[in-house]
This record gives sequence, C-alpha cells and structure tokens, in this order.
Amino acid sequence: MSEKTILYVEDNEYNRKIVRQLFSRTSYRLIEATDGEDGVAKAQKELPNLILMDVQLPKMSGLDATRVLKADARTSQIPVIVITSFAMSGDREKAAEAGATSYLAKPYSPRELLALVRQHLPESDQRSGGDR
Amino acid sequence: MQSSIENPSSVEQLAALVERRTPVRRLVEWVAGIRASVHTKLLAGFLIVTALFIVMAAVNVQTLVSATRQAQLLDEAHEQVSWAQQSEQALARQMHYTDLALFSQDEAAIAKILRENNRFNDMLSKLEAAGMTEQSLLEEIRSSQDEAMGVVADIANGIRDRKLGTVTGDLLHRQARLDEEISTRVGRLVEAQRTRMTRLRDSVAQANRKSLILTSVFAVTAVVLALFCGFVISWSFILPVREAQNFLDQVAQGTFGRRISVPNRDELGVLAERMNHMSMELQRFDKEQRLASTELVRLNDQLAQTSKAKSEFLANMSHELRTPMNAILGFTEMVLDGLYGEVPAELKEPLTDIQVNGRHLLRLINDVLDLSKIEAGRMELALGEYSVREVVDIVHLSLRSLAVEKGLEFTTSVPENVPTAYGDNRRLTQCLMNLAGNAIKFTRKGRVEIGVKLDGSELVYRVRDTGIGIPREELENIFGEFRQVDATVTREYGGTGLGLSITKRFVEMHGGRIWVDSEVGKGCTFYFAVPLRTKDEGI
Repeated sequence: MSEKTILYVEDNEYNRKIVRQLFSRTSYRLIEATDGEDGVAKAQKELPNLILMDVQLPKMSGLDATRVLKADARTSQIPVIVITSFAMSGDREKAAEAGATSYLAKPYSPRELLALVRQHLPESDQRSGGDR
Repeated sequence: MQSSIENPSSVEQLAALVERRTPVRRLVEWVAGIRASVHTKLLAGFLIVTALFIVMAAVNVQTLVSATRQAQLLDEAHEQVSWAQQSEQALARQMHYTDLALFSQDEAAIAKILRENNRFNDMLSKLEAAGMTEQSLLEEIRSSQDEAMGVVADIANGIRDRKLGTVTGDLLHRQARLDEEISTRVGRLVEAQRTRMTRLRDSVAQANRKSLILTSVFAVTAVVLALFCGFVISWSFILPVREAQNFLDQVAQGTFGRRISVPNRDELGVLAERMNHMSMELQRFDKEQRLASTELVRLNDQLAQTSKAKSEFLANMSHELRTPMNAILGFTEMVLDGLYGEVPAELKEPLTDIQVNGRHLLRLINDVLDLSKIEAGRMELALGEYSVREVVDIVHLSLRSLAVEKGLEFTTSVPENVPTAYGDNRRLTQCLMNLAGNAIKFTRKGRVEIGVKLDGSELVYRVRDTGIGIPREELENIFGEFRQVDATVTREYGGTGLGLSITKRFVEMHGGRIWVDSEVGKGCTFYFAVPLRTKDEGI
C-alpha cells in the first residue's frame, strides 16, 4: 500500500498552510481544495483515504459537499471529518446527519487535529483507512 | 304560540307569510310603528279583546231577554186561544140547552142556559181585558148574544105562562137564526185568535233564528278579531326579534357594520337602534383591530427579518473571527512545538504571551458571540442525558493545572447517589467552568471546592473559594454584563467580565437560578440550581 492521501477542503489560505506544514512532517500525502465544488471534484478524482471538510465554503457548503460524496458509491466509504466554526448550535447534529464520520470545532489545535486524523487513519497501518 | 315554538316549521311558515310584502305585513308594520310602549300595546290588545267579549256577552244577554219575552207573549196568545175555544164550547152548550128548554119546557134547562151564558160572557170579558183587537166582532157577538138571551127570556116566560106551544115555532125560528149567527161569529173569533197565535209563533221562531245567527256571527267575529288582534300585536314584536336574531347571528359570525331596520317605535325600536350603534362600534373596533393586526404582522415580519439578519451576521462574524484566530493560534502552537525547528530560549516567552493573549481573545470572542446569540434568542440548548460526575470531572481536569500553579487546594465532591441528569451538558460544563475558573482566579491561597447536591428534584452545583470575596453592595450587580467589582480587578485578574452573565443566562434557560453568598476577605460561594430533568419545551 502506497502513502495515504488526505484531502483538505478549506478556503482560507493560512489555515491550508498550517495543515500543509503540519502534515509535511508526516507520511500522509495532502491534496487541497478551496471550495465545495472543487472538493467534491478532487475527492471523486483522487479517491483520498480521508477528507477534512470545512463547513463554511464558497460555492457549496461543506455539509452539502459531504452529502454529495456520501451519496456517490465511489466516495461514500471515505471518512469525512467536518470542521466548523461552531457558529450555530446543532452543528454537531447537522454534521452527523450529513454523514460526517467525526467533527472538530474551530479554532482547533494542530496537535488535536493530527491526533484525530491518526485515530481515523493510522500512519503506519497497512490497512486502507476506514471509519471505526 | 306555545305549540308553534315546539314546531318550528309552522312558525317559519307564519314568518314567511308575515315577512312577505302582504297586507298582513303592512298591518303588522303599522302596529309596530305606533308610538307606544310594548306595555301599552299589550294592554291595548288585551282591552280590545276584553271589550269584544263584553259586547258579545251583552248581545247574548239581549237575545236571552228577547227570547223570554217572546215565550211570554206566546203563552198569552195560547191562553187567549184557549179562552176563545172555551167560549165557543160554552156557546154550543148554551144553544143545546136552549133547544132542550124549548122542547122539554123544563125550567131547569133555563138555569143551565144562564150558567153557560155566564161562562161565555166571562171568557169574552177575559179576551176583551187581554186587549182583543177584534172589538167590533165582540160587539156583534154581544148583541147577538143579547138577542139570544131575549129568546131565552121569551122561552122562560112561555114556560111559566104555559103558553109556549103557541110561540114555539117563532121562537124556534129565531133561535135557529141566532144560533147560526153567533156560532159563525164565535168561530171567526176563534179563527182570529188561532191565526194570531200562529203568526206570533212564526215571528218568535224567526226572531229566535235571527238572534241565533246574530249571536253566532258576533261570537265568530269576536273570536276572529281577538285572534287577529293578538296575531298582529304578537308579530309586531316577533318580527323585530327575528330581525335582531338574524342580525346577532351575523355579528357572531364576524359580520360587523350591518344595520338592522325595524318599523317599531317602542322598546324594540330603541333596542334595534342600540344594536345598530353596537354594530357601528364593533365595525370600528374591528377595523382598528385589523389595521393594528396588519401593522403587527408587518412589524413582526420586519422583526423576524431583522432577527434573521442579526443571526446570519452573528454566524458570519463567528466564522470570520475564528478563522484568523485559528491561524494565529495554530501557527503559534506549531512554532512552540518545534515544527519549524528548535525555538530560541529568548523567543519562548513572547511566543507564549502571544498564545495566552490569543486564547484570551478567543474566549472574549466566544463570550460576546454567545451573549449576542442569547440576546437574539438564537441560542438553543442541545438537551440530552448527561453524567453530573463527568461534568464536574471535565471542569476539574481542565483547571487542575491552573490551581496547582497557584498552589491552591482544588477538590470536588459528588455524592454517589446523584442520578443521570437531563440538560445541555456542554453549556452546564461551561457554566461550572466559568464559576470554578473565577474562583481560582480570585483566590491567592487556600482552596477551591466544587460540590453537587441533590435537593428534591433540583440539582444544586456549588463552587466555594477562600478568595477576596465580593462586597455586599456589589452582590446584586455581579451577574450583569462587564461587571467585575472594579476596573483594577479586571487588570489584575483578567477575565472577560461576561462569564457570570452568560452562566446566569444558561442556568435560566434550563429553568434554574443562580445566587451567591460572600464575605469580603473570606471568600464566596456560588450556587446554581437546575431541574434534574430539564423539560424539552419552554427553554
């Protein structure tokens, strides 16, 4: 099994930079998308092992993108971690309803994010990532 | 009328009859239009009916009196006929005895003749006294009778002188002539009496028939008039009442402003006028209410839109503020974690300061946004089952290092028997975190204790410290926004000044309450009580 691919969908350049630099020390291969539609297209094309999905995105919201991916047979098995700004109560429920595997509130600590990713997609594990 | 009420269809038929433009209706309307009170009209109606019955009774009495009088007359006539007949019989006997005296020459017969003659005369006198009209006939009878008595006298003389035989033939002849003459005349008298009686009887029968017809016609007329009078008067009341009924039905259905029109100029007319007034007032109120309601709906829509806009603004602000905070805190953490290589010792402190202030700014942002959401009514509790011990443990775990740093004793006490509770555990944790965080912040030495107690159906959380305490006069204000005891306290101890206010709001959203006991210099104890099973609704 080759390196594990993670798709990060986020419109803010600095936040993408944090994750890029965070994952540069790991064995994960990171691909990035800057809006919901781009995210869906990249996920369908690259079939990553894990997706980090911001909620508030241009063109298509993170929740809608998650729904599209979950409805698509090719991408429905990929675990999705939804990242919200914790703007409205009930975000956690909405994320679960859209089919998210896990949920992280912004602002997150890079350490926590990495731990959560490792939990769902172990770096050294030979199995292809899956939700547990 | 009583039965008509039980049988609505007949009332409806009557009503249809009266309500159509018939002469009956015009009459009813005329009666209704009389300017008199209901009482007067009813009284007049009863008086008319009573008068009709009195007149009817008078006519009856009159008929009765006249019938009695006729019967009396008939009796008299009957008696007169009887007298005439008796006189006829007496005459017949007188003639018979005269013949007898003439042939038997017996004086005893003379006496019998005289007796019968007397009887005859008696009867004639009675007839005369009763007011006989045939006076001339009576005179003729009397003269013939006198003549007959002359014959009798001659017979008597003849008998006494024994010379009767010589004159018998002449006497017989005279007697026979007189006999026939008188008989004929008396016969006429009797006939006249009979005719008179028959005429009288006929006239009595006719009079009786006439009075019977009159009485009947009068009785029927009186009854019909009485009924008609009652009908018209009662309908002059029923019509406006029915109008009013229809009118009120329409009012009840929400049709205002219609006018009722009744011809009555009595209490019912006044009532109708009041109803019209009421109708106009109701219409006016209704119009005002509708306008107000439209205005309210508009305002409400406006408010809802404003509220939605505010809510959207808050959501956006939340995102916009947190996104750069995420970058600031994220980069700082990664630098401190040595992700970009070892951090020079002299940079560690300023980097940590950036991190501490960044976190403080984040807390402020969170608090302000929470409070804004609460005030916009957009804050909703995520209710569910939760473990009280877990809430206390999370708070204890998060703040333990801070307490240890300050050298404070930090303990918790949760009774074993506290059951699973129902509420928003994240918000309740936030509340307890605020109170315990404050306690640690404002306590230099001693201890901070978190406790929980089940009090009936209420769960009472308690945070006790041995800190600086709160002056009595400040106790009321501490739950307001940005209310730390004074500005210097804020500078020395930090904090957003929103924690208590938010805590209070969350506790109240759970249907609970918050309070504090304190003594300056000795510390204070904050309590908040929430229902063990917070209801889903009404929060």
